[in-house]
Order: sequence, then C-alpha cells, then structure tokens
Amino acid sequence: MKKFDADGLGESLLRGFAGRTSRRSLLSKLGLALVAAPAFPLLPVSRANAAKPDRSPEGKTAFARAAQTKDDTECNYWRYCAIDGALCSCCGGGIHSCPAGAQPSPVSWVGTCINPDDGKAYLIAYRDCCGKPLCNHCFCDNADRETQIYTPQLNNDIIWCFGTDSMQYHCSTAVLVGAAQ
Amino acid sequence: MTLAAARVLSSLTILALMTASSAVRAQEGETSEVSKMEPPKPEWVFVRGGFGSEGTSIYDTKTGKMKGMVNTSASSDMALDPTGKFYYVSETIWTKGNRGTRQDMVAVYDAIDLKLQADINIPDRLLVGERKQNFIISDDGKWGFVYNMSPASSVNVVDLTKRKFVKAIELPGCAALMPNPAVGFSALCSDGSLATVTVGGAKPVITHSAPFFSATGDPIFENFQYDKAKQQTVMMSYTGLIYTATLGATPTVAQPYSIQAAAGYAAADTKPLAVDWYPGGRQPMALHRPSGELYVLMHMGEYWSHKAAGEEIWVLDTTSRKVVRRFPLKIPAAHIEVTQGAEPMIFLNEEEGGNGIILDGKTGKEEHKIERAGGGMAYTMPAS
Repeated sequence: MKKFDADGLGESLLRGFAGRTSRRSLLSKLGLALVAAPAFPLLPVSRANAAKPDRSPEGKTAFARAAQTKDDTECNYWRYCAIDGALCSCCGGGIHSCPAGAQPSPVSWVGTCINPDDGKAYLIAYRDCCGKPLCNHCFCDNADRETQIYTPQLNNDIIWCFGTDSMQYHCSTAVLVGAAQ
Repeated sequence: MTLAAARVLSSLTILALMTASSAVRAQEGETSEVSKMEPPKPEWVFVRGGFGSEGTSIYDTKTGKMKGMVNTSASSDMALDPTGKFYYVSETIWTKGNRGTRQDMVAVYDAIDLKLQADINIPDRLLVGERKQNFIISDDGKWGFVYNMSPASSVNVVDLTKRKFVKAIELPGCAALMPNPAVGFSALCSDGSLATVTVGGAKPVITHSAPFFSATGDPIFENFQYDKAKQQTVMMSYTGLIYTATLGATPTVAQPYSIQAAAGYAAADTKPLAVDWYPGGRQPMALHRPSGELYVLMHMGEYWSHKAAGEEIWVLDTTSRKVVRRFPLKIPAAHIEVTQGAEPMIFLNEEEGGNGIILDGKTGKEEHKIERAGGGMAYTMPAS
C-alpha cells in the first residue's frame, strides 16, 4: 500500500520555500542539512511502490472519511489532517494568513490531505505564526501520517518558528502548496 | 456619622483590638522560613506543567502530597541527575522576555535547596517540549547531551562536572537520544536505523545499524525506555511492535513482537478501516526496570491515532512476552510513568480535567487523585 508520495511532497515544499524566502542564515542552516543528505533523507520515500494511491473510502483514514470543506474553524476541515495547535482561523487570521502582528515561519511541517470535494490529495504546509503569545482558541491535534522528530518535516510537535524574529508560538495555518500526485 | 460618634467608634475598635491581643499573647511571633528537600526518592514523581506552562511539580506517590517544584521554563527539557544531587533544565530565554537576544543554557539546580547553582551556556537547542529524549544524562551523571535542530540537527555535549559546554556534534537525520554507556549516545534515525555516536575521541565517530523500522510507515515512539542495568532500550512502534536494542559500540536490535499478540489478539497493522487496540498518548509507556514490566497506554481506534489518550493500561512482561494485567481507566490518560521501587506506583495524567491519578502498579487500585497535578511529561528516578 502506498500511503503518500513523500518525494513529490518534498519537491513541492522546497520549491515553495525557495520562492518565498531570502533568509540567508536560515538557508545556510538548511543547506547544511541538505549537504548531509546521504544520512539525512529529507525526502523519505518508498520508490518501490509506484502504484496510484488508494483514495477510495476504504483507503482513507478516519480523519479523511469525516473531513469537510466548508468551515476552516473546525478541526475536521480537510486541510487539518496533520495539524497540531491553535487554528489561526479562530485567532484573527485565516487558513493561510497570520493574525495581525504575527509572523509566518518560512519553514514548516507538512501533511498530505484529501479534499473530499474532488477526492484528490494535496500537499499542505502547516506554517506556524510566531511572535505573539499562544492563541487560546480552536486547539486541534490531528495526526495523519505524523511521525516523530527524527523525521522532523512530518512532526507536528516542534515549534516551527525557525527564521522568524521570535520563536514564540501563536497559532498554525494550513497553506495549500499543490497537488500531491 | 458625626465627629463625636466617629471618635467613640474609634475608641471602641482600639479597645477590641487590645482585648484580642491579650487573648493571643501566649503565641510566639514567627519568622519566614524556607523548606529544604530530601534527596530524590524512588517513590517521587516529577510532573511537567504541559505545553506553554512553567514549573515541574514533585509528588510523593505514597502520600499523594506535593513536595516541591523545579523551576522549569516553558518549552524546556528537564533531566534528573542519576546520582540524585542535581536537577538539570535545558532551556531557552530571551533578554526581553518574549523578544530580544536568545540565550540557551543548561540550568543546574541543587536537589536539596532547589536553588540555581549554575547556568551552562550552550549554542542552541530544539524548542518542542514534551520530550525526555532531547536532553539526556550519561549513567555516571558526568555528561549531558542536548538535542538541537536549527533546522540542521546536532547534539550539544555538556561536561556537567566542569559545567562547561564542550562541543556540538552534527547528527543529520537522527533525533531521540538514549545513553550508550562507555560510548556516548545513540539515536533513532529517519532511515530506520539506530545511530551510535562515540563522543570521547578527538573527532566524534557516527555509525549506523542496518535499518530495522519504517520511520514513516510504522514509526517508533520517542518515548522509548532505557534500562541502565541491562544496557538495553525497549522501544514500541505505532502499531505496537516491541523492539529491544542492546547497546554498546555496535548495538543489536532483536526481532520485534506484537503487544496485541502478547495479549492474545492478532497483531495490529497499518491498514485503514481496521479498528484495533493501539498504543498512544504523549507519553505512552513506562518500564518498571526491576521487573521488566512495560506499562502501556492502549486505546481502541484506527491507525494514525498514536496521539489518542489511553483507555486501558496493558502491563507487558517483556521476559515472557505476555500481557499479564490490564487496567481499564475511568478517564483516558495521555501520560504514564511508573516508580522504580519494589512496589511500583503508576502515575497518570487524565486527558480531561487535568488531574493526576496514582494507581497501585500491581493491582491497578486508585490510591490518590491530585487535582491539577500538571498536564505534561512525568519522570521518576531511574533504578539505582
């Protein structure tokens, strides 16, 4: 069974990242991670299985089967399949907008979520908004394909405020990066 | 009120106070004092406040009473000195509170008076909280290892005797640290291997085992259990596979076995729609080292429910590989820890309500309920 395309996921993520940031210090650190690529598979992937992902109801997770596309202030909104934290949509921001005064992190963890309207999987970048106190609204903790810190790009516990002026965590957004297949 | 009436009332008040004063004259005046702690005991449990909260409360599991608090800041990591003399806190603060110049350090607190003894400056550290494996201490208490991700991953080596930062070791693709006696430390990696880092030489040497688990298909919880006496680490995957690594310069990992099979069920797997018993929570298991019994929070659900709070505790005898006891919980719990004495006591953090519950490890009987004990990770002293 192919669970998700981490290779494509990583490519899309890095393309998006390259298009948005010019933080040299951050890039140099990220570059260090990439230089060490043989031992740091940033793009973990099972290349052996090239079959199309199973998007049938039987192939979906419990989250995907119950996901909706109307209300992005609810934890079961389809893009939130691997989010952990306060929803910026409930904190004065939006699905891809930080609340006023907060700063989006240029890097993030990612998820692959299925939109129930078209049945397709999309790459979602969960960008934390940083530099303000914790927003105490709409806490969600969904964990589809969420892993541990040794696979950091798929871990949703890390405070992803790297490269921002402050590492204070405020809330989380769910930015659509593109189709995952 | 007229002026004359006010004077009469004032006089009466003074008279009443004088009368009361003479009634309590026998009592001695007091001075403010500060309590001291005993050295950490095996029956104590240390409970973090939870995400964004400060302070680590210390409770005696025999009495359910609070003994004191370690001064841990938000997103810090605490480690217990195996010799019982200090509490170490790896933490990050800013010169202007929530902004300004960032400062990372290991704070050293005396275990008796709980006062700060030293700040050991370190270059950086990962901010996440809820992880014991980001800050570990060597078995002899002499070395601290602090995990860092910025976002390249490395490990800060701290000499706790000299109270000095020594060096940072780049550790690409790996995290979740465990002591590896006489070598340095080991860590789990995203390629499914166990990395071993030899720290002592002029240049650190990093070796990797053959991959033995899938970091994205069936990850191993970072809440693994290191056993100093056996020099082994007991690990568990999201599906409930139990792995045992024997540490050393070249660690070996035994063939895993299923906790569900150990309870008489079919092994759980990763397929969608399959409802099964799975391990889960934020601190899903605790090993009672003297007996080899592993206490695991289990819940009914589907795969990828690894953060779900436990509905039952399964006690797995890692020697016979059988689940020997099961304790249903009144309220699901996200954290579990067990004391290391001959009579193990279980500590649980209830998911709803935030109460701490202490159960007898052998019978499951509830012994104490601690109101708002702390919503985070729990620690006990390792077996001596």
